Amino acid sequence: MKIAKVSGVLLVSATLLGACTTAGGVGPDGQPRLIARDADSGFDPVTLPQQQAAIAYDPDGCQNWIIDDGVEGYASRRRDPVTGLPVCNNQFPPGTVVKEYRSTNFPDILP
Amino acid sequence: MLAVLAAALMLAGIAPAQAQDRPRVAGKIDWGVWVDPDGCMHWWADGGVEGYMVERVNPRTGHPVCLKLETCLVENTDVLFATDSHRLTPHGKARLESFFRGAGAFAYAIYGHTDSRASDEYNMRLSQRRAASVAHVARSVGATVDREIGFGERRPIATNATAAGMQKNRRVEIVCYRW
Repeated sequence: MKIAKVSGVLLVSATLLGACTTAGGVGPDGQPRLIARDADSGFDPVTLPQQQAAIAYDPDGCQNWIIDDGVEGYASRRRDPVTGLPVCNNQFPPGTVVKEYRSTNFPDILP
Repeated sequence: MLAVLAAALMLAGIAPAQAQDRPRVAGKIDWGVWVDPDGCMHWWADGGVEGYMVERVNPRTGHPVCLKLETCLVENTDVLFATDSHRLTPHGKARLESFFRGAGAFAYAIYGHTDSRASDEYNMRLSQRRAASVAHVARSVGATVDREIGFGERRPIATNATAAGMQKNRRVEIVCYRW
C-alpha cells in the first residue's frame, strides 16, 4: 500500500517535503541529520496527536492502533493500560480494520 | 605506541573492537507523543513519505506508559466479599451486575489483588478465585470477559505497612476494552 502511494506522489514530493533533501548521516556541523520529526510534512496540516485511530487486528487476533495520515501510516500495539497485556480476541477475523482509519481524503492506491 | 599497534592491526585486517562494534550514525529522529484512546503513549515521527510509531514503555518494567488508566472500576474487595472468601456478598453481586449492565465495553479484563497478609501462594489463589467470581457475574449478564487474573499481593498500589494502605491494596480492578 505504501509503495503504491509513494509512487503517486513523487512528482509533488520533491517540492513539498523538505525532509527528502537530506539523506541522513552526520551533517557538516557534526550533528546527526534529521530524518523524521514530530510534525506532519505536507498534505494536511493536522498533526498526529489530534487524529483518530482505527483498530487493526493482526494475524494473531491482537489489536493495533493504526492511523493513515494521508501519505504516511502509523501503527502501534494496543495494550491493557493496567497490566500491559495485549488486547486480543476473536470478535473480528484477523486482518479486519474497524473504525475510521483515514484522516484525509488522500487516496490509497493498491496494485 | 597504541596508535602504531592499532595501525598494524588495521593493516592486518583486524580493526580495534570498538570501531567494529559502534555502528555509524545514520541520522536523528525528533519523536513526538501520540496518546491513544486508552490514555497510553506512543512515540511517532513523520519522515516525509514514511512514518514511524512505537509504543512508549517503562524501561524498567516494559509496561506501557499511560496518562490516565482507563480502569472502569476499582472496587474494594471488603465491599464485595467476606474476609478470606471468594463468595460475593448480595450487595457486591448486585453492584457488579449493575456495573456490567451499564459499562458498555466490548470486553473486560478482571484483575484481583490482595494485601500482603497471609502467604504469597494463598493470596495468589484467593485473588484468582475472586477474579473468577467477578467474571462469573459479568458473564451472567451477557458481558464478554477477555481475561481474569489474580495477582495476589504482588502488585500493591499502596503501602502494606498501614491498615489504610492494606485496604487500598485489597481490590478488584476492571479494565474496559472499548471500540
